[in-house]
Amino acid sequence: MKKSHPIRRVVLASAATVSGVVLLLSLKPASDPNAQAAGAAPQQTAGAQASPQGGTGSGTASGTIDGNVAQTQYGNVQVRLTVANGKITKAEAIQAPKGGTSDQKTALSIPKLTQETVAAQSAQIDAVSGATYTSNGYKQSLQSALDKMKASAGSAQSGGGSSQSGGSGSSSGAAQAKTVTGAVAQTQYGPVQVRITVANGKITKADAVQAPKGGLSDQKTALAIPKLNQEAVAAGNAQIDSVSGATYTSGGYKQSLQSALDQAGG
Amino acid sequence: MTTTLAGGRAARRQTMRRIRPRRSPATVLLLAVWAGAVGVLWLWWMNTPSIADQNGKILNAGRITGLLAGYLMALVVLQMARVPALERRVGSDRVARWHAMSGRYTLCLVFAHVFLIMWGYALQAGKSLGDIVQQTIDSINQLPDMGKAAIGTGLFVLIGLTSIGPVRRRLPYDTWYHVHLLTYAAVFLTFWHQITTGNDFAVEPTAKTFWYALYGSVTALVIWYRILVPIRLNMRHRMRVEAVIEETPGIVSVLIGGRKLHRMGAEAGQFFRWRFLAPGMRFSSHPYSLSAAPRPDMLRITVKAIGDHSARLRELTPGTRVWAEGPYGAMTAQRRSRGKVLLVAGGVGITPMRALFETLPGAAGDITLLYRANTTQDLALWDELAAIADDRGARLMYAVNSPDGERPDISAERLRQKLPDIDKHDVFMCGPAGFAQSVYEALRGAGVPARRIHHESFEM
Repeated sequence: MKKSHPIRRVVLASAATVSGVVLLLSLKPASDPNAQAAGAAPQQTAGAQASPQGGTGSGTASGTIDGNVAQTQYGNVQVRLTVANGKITKAEAIQAPKGGTSDQKTALSIPKLTQETVAAQSAQIDAVSGATYTSNGYKQSLQSALDKMKASAGSAQSGGGSSQSGGSGSSSGAAQAKTVTGAVAQTQYGPVQVRITVANGKITKADAVQAPKGGLSDQKTALAIPKLNQEAVAAGNAQIDSVSGATYTSGGYKQSLQSALDQAGG
Repeated sequence: MTTTLAGGRAARRQTMRRIRPRRSPATVLLLAVWAGAVGVLWLWWMNTPSIADQNGKILNAGRITGLLAGYLMALVVLQMARVPALERRVGSDRVARWHAMSGRYTLCLVFAHVFLIMWGYALQAGKSLGDIVQQTIDSINQLPDMGKAAIGTGLFVLIGLTSIGPVRRRLPYDTWYHVHLLTYAAVFLTFWHQITTGNDFAVEPTAKTFWYALYGSVTALVIWYRILVPIRLNMRHRMRVEAVIEETPGIVSVLIGGRKLHRMGAEAGQFFRWRFLAPGMRFSSHPYSLSAAPRPDMLRITVKAIGDHSARLRELTPGTRVWAEGPYGAMTAQRRSRGKVLLVAGGVGITPMRALFETLPGAAGDITLLYRANTTQDLALWDELAAIADDRGARLMYAVNSPDGERPDISAERLRQKLPDIDKHDVFMCGPAGFAQSVYEALRGAGVPARRIHHESFEM
């Protein structure tokens, strides 16, 4: 029986706990690489990144383009596209989840996903069942690679405006406001589906027809959706910031918004 | 009666085995607890890709404290599940101290968790720290299982308050005990919100399975060892009070008869938690050590009247049904690592020492008992002790206050003088905390290594 020092013990336990928690918190990076992948900033660098490889061909984008790293809960996914004459000739994953059951899932899903990519020439590919997280990560990274590809093609053609608004601009003669509903994006808290109203190639209104419900999700939905709607109208595209604390909902929102924009842009 | 108890030859033969010290599994258990805590933190680490801002930091601090509290809460309950490995090998007293310590720490984590999470949610909703009460009410109304969790937390507040030192000392033991039993309800009520709103459990099905397994196995152990095992024990042995004997003023022995009592596996130095089914006594159980080696038909406890319960023991009538749980306690012959043993008893702490003095295997001169009391009249069981000492050639010493009330000198020098090879002894000690502390220091000063001083104390 050693002498007990209750006060010393209390002080030590509190100090150890507080400093442990603070240490853990400070070791975490400040920004979510996942959110950045869908953020607006990378688009400017995309052209520069792609041009050293594909800048020689005029009017066409050729070479390889790396998508942004998409973080899933099982690990990172990053897509590399090989592009020739504006077409995807090859897709590969330079990063994919490893370890444990992930090895198996990666081996199962990545070949299917790369095949689908070459066939579809877009990010509108089916998720591999049983590997939803990897598939979603893949699609996110692929989308960012496609964005870069478009951006470099756009700058090479020196056409007016970005490809998206240019596309919808041509149909603006009708000047009719139309409502487009995006594809349902599955998040782990529930489906998200975005409906936008487009007039003269501009988003005039955005709302969510589906959003996560129940439990914590109600709170997060109430918090995030109005912000995201506002941002969508302000930005006119899917390059909007995620709402912190509602990353999954924001991710799903952006996915569905992108698909709505794709439809609206024809 | 004295001679028949002293002559429990069968019991003595039973303990006359080779000296095989069994190490306490405490170190291994503590390592496992730490490993589990690291695992819980790892779970959080893997499920948190980044922390964007101040608000995120507060929320994540809340998640970490919540996860740790949920993990430790299961262990706090486990410590009181009366698992034999803990009660008989680590020692009931040490486990009870762990329980008190980890219980306080866990409650602090619970309160930190509630505060941090609600603060974080308030900030997230664009409000400030001042709106934390409103935020808490909103969260209780909106989130699943949060109503239950709030009630559970309220119970934790009550349990925590009644266990603060000064409050507890003022409360009757029974009141404190029954409030403390509400812990089971509180743990049950707060469990569900961990699963339904916990970020890490929503994301990670494996974590959820692990959490269910942790709480499920603790529940199973509690039901088995706190309910089913005692029922089986008492059905089998059917104990009743045989006689109550006054040993000295204020100290009584209770003789308890029953069937095949030697089959209960009790050893000298251990105790049972006793519940006497007499009016006014049936609702609480108290730990009292066996004051003689168990015999097939008889157990004996010797108790000093210090509380309500112990004072009532003298009024027990023969034939009263007895409900016992045990045996518990790690201060047995298994702790011994040397041939020579010094037993030190302070006051009524003589009870387990008396049983050990009779049964510890040893040749003449191997066993020494030092008995400290205020006056020679307070030396309960002295005649028995003298008979045992005679019978087996053991040494018996006592130390009492001088007529003018001066305390006897139990110092390192004095101990060495009385027992020149004291550093070759194992020491078993039982007595009030202050006495035990001063003897412990004297023993260390006389060269007895700490690992050979075996002590049991139920003071927190």
